[in-house]
Amino acid sequence: MKNNPILAAGLPSVKEADFQKHPKRFLNKNLIAKGVLFIPLFAAVVLSFFVIQEKPWVWKVALAVWVFSFILSIFLSYKGYFVKGFVLREHDITYKKGWVFHSQITVPFNRIQHTEINHGPIDRLFKLCELDIFTAGGSASDLSIDGLDPEDAAKLKEYISGKLSIHA
Amino acid sequence: MLDLSTPQRQSKKIIAFYLYKSIKGLLLYFVFAAVGTNSMGKYGMFMTAFIAFIALASLVSPVLKYLYFTFHIEGDELIIQKGLLQKERKSIPLERIQSININQNVVQRILGIVSLEVDTAGSKGKELEIPGLEKAFASEFKELLQERKEEINVEEEVIENAQKYFVDSNNDGYEGALLEATEKIPAIPSQKTRTTARNLTETTILQLGILDILKVGITQNHLKSGGLAIGLAFGSWFQVNELLEEYLGDWIQQFSMENVISSTSAGLVFIALVLFLFFSVVISVALAINKYWDFSIVKKGTDLEVKMGLFNKKEIKIPLKKVQILEFHSNPLRKLLGFQTAQIFQAQSTENKQGSVSVPACKEVHRMMLQNLIFKQPVETTEQELKCNPYSHAKLRFYILSVFLLPLVGAAFYVEEYAGIVLLILLFCISIFMAFMYGKNSRVIKDEDFVVFKKGWLFPQTVISPIFKTQAVEKWRSIFLKRRKEAHLKLHTAAGTRGLRYLHEDQLNQLITSVNNEVICSEEKWM
Repeated sequence: MKNNPILAAGLPSVKEADFQKHPKRFLNKNLIAKGVLFIPLFAAVVLSFFVIQEKPWVWKVALAVWVFSFILSIFLSYKGYFVKGFVLREHDITYKKGWVFHSQITVPFNRIQHTEINHGPIDRLFKLCELDIFTAGGSASDLSIDGLDPEDAAKLKEYISGKLSIHA
Repeated sequence: MLDLSTPQRQSKKIIAFYLYKSIKGLLLYFVFAAVGTNSMGKYGMFMTAFIAFIALASLVSPVLKYLYFTFHIEGDELIIQKGLLQKERKSIPLERIQSININQNVVQRILGIVSLEVDTAGSKGKELEIPGLEKAFASEFKELLQERKEEINVEEEVIENAQKYFVDSNNDGYEGALLEATEKIPAIPSQKTRTTARNLTETTILQLGILDILKVGITQNHLKSGGLAIGLAFGSWFQVNELLEEYLGDWIQQFSMENVISSTSAGLVFIALVLFLFFSVVISVALAINKYWDFSIVKKGTDLEVKMGLFNKKEIKIPLKKVQILEFHSNPLRKLLGFQTAQIFQAQSTENKQGSVSVPACKEVHRMMLQNLIFKQPVETTEQELKCNPYSHAKLRFYILSVFLLPLVGAAFYVEEYAGIVLLILLFCISIFMAFMYGKNSRVIKDEDFVVFKKGWLFPQTVISPIFKTQAVEKWRSIFLKRRKEAHLKLHTAAGTRGLRYLHEDQLNQLITSVNNEVICSEEKWM
């Protein structure tokens, strides 16, 4: 029989190279979704050009604001894609996200209550889905990993659920 | 012993309570009806009929509510059924119950009933309330739930052990192991009687007399109650004003806005300030007396029982094992008197605020006692200490305040109030200094079993969280902090998130890794 002591200090830490990227089409989805969101706003700008003709500065300002926010949001979701990533280790899962506001959160499997897979219509169009991981108490420590390949997500869920039943 | 296998109704007195509630809700409506229908002409008849119908309904509905509200225990579940048209059935598995509390508000007190609240700390707020029980019945019910819950847990442990045994030995069949384990089950009743015997041993941790409560009231955050006072004053001012104007018309005229402003002098401001302070203190003391009247915290078996309240009585039970976080708060006045406020947090569903209990007037002795009772071991030698960067705290405060300060200074220039500018800049500097001192006095300490946050300068807080109760650790930073190599720490537990800002990133990584790994290694139950 073996029962080696495990010293917490000796255990490995999460390394940058371990992080797994989301599939490329997640970036496409984000960019296209943002683009689609901005079309009606552009229509409003065009409308202002035709309707408020006596004050030409209005449409100029509106156009400038539109261009600026469009570029900014595309830039942010482009940047955001490259900092998103997750690591699945034997006993925990780590997820990092956000370019301007970056967070990296680690949840051990023995503290997870249950997991869920969700997908909306746009997600399905791009063959993506979202994995939600719930912990007890408030929702601050719940993880929601979006933009996963459905097959990968199912495997992840299976893996995590398998770990849960050992601990529960 | 209570028999709850069949659906039970609440005490009949609840009808009066429901009636009070629906009348309270409809009161304004009735007033409107009495005044309004006169001016409606022939439609007034319909209106009156309609209102009579509503009134009748509000008289009947409490009875229906009473008749259709039942609760019982079925197997290992507590079940509540209610509603006539829209039926609702809630069930809670007994072993999931986190806390059972007894509350009583003024009306319930007059009627002599209490409400029993059962909370499970699920992600979705799942809690039950039975608002009308006889007091004796409620406490018996509470004991019963507690006992059943423990029984189930013991049974589960036996089966778990059997499974473990099966896994370990492997040559013996699972059946055999289970049999062996069930043979041990007769040990349960004796264990149960032991727990009930233990329940009788009560250790009083703290009891507050009127003097202590007064002290607590006087040392409270007066700004908060002062704000309340102002709100109340402004709210009622217009009503009072109307009344006064009728009787004291001429005299009150002198106090119109223009007159007040034109005669404003240092003396008047001083009087206003003194009045404000006086009322703040009075309100603080009154609130403290109402909240903490007859406060006692008692250790009963493996639970903490807290009782308090003058008009709204509260009785809260916290299983010691369920305590997630212990906090100690202080302020300069309290430091002077040598006591702190302890706050005990247990796992809770998000909406339920009952999860935390504050214990005012904790002396050093009580503090140690609470800590030892709840966590068994004291905070030992520091393994790792992370200090905040005070300059980062100051910088953040500087940026935030600048946004407000610049327009204000501009406005002051415009109206040529140069004294105001000096005052603003002085406040600005003081606030930044406070932020700096906050950062300077804040740090995270980790020892073998706990993560301890020490925060604040004038209003120091100590947050103690056992490492194995941690649910997730998070590192958070904005893009501006990346260059400074700093990040914030967020420690998520079942009782909420605690954290500290502007820590050194390398040290933080180390802390997060070691906390996370200790959580993985621990096999203790954390909820």
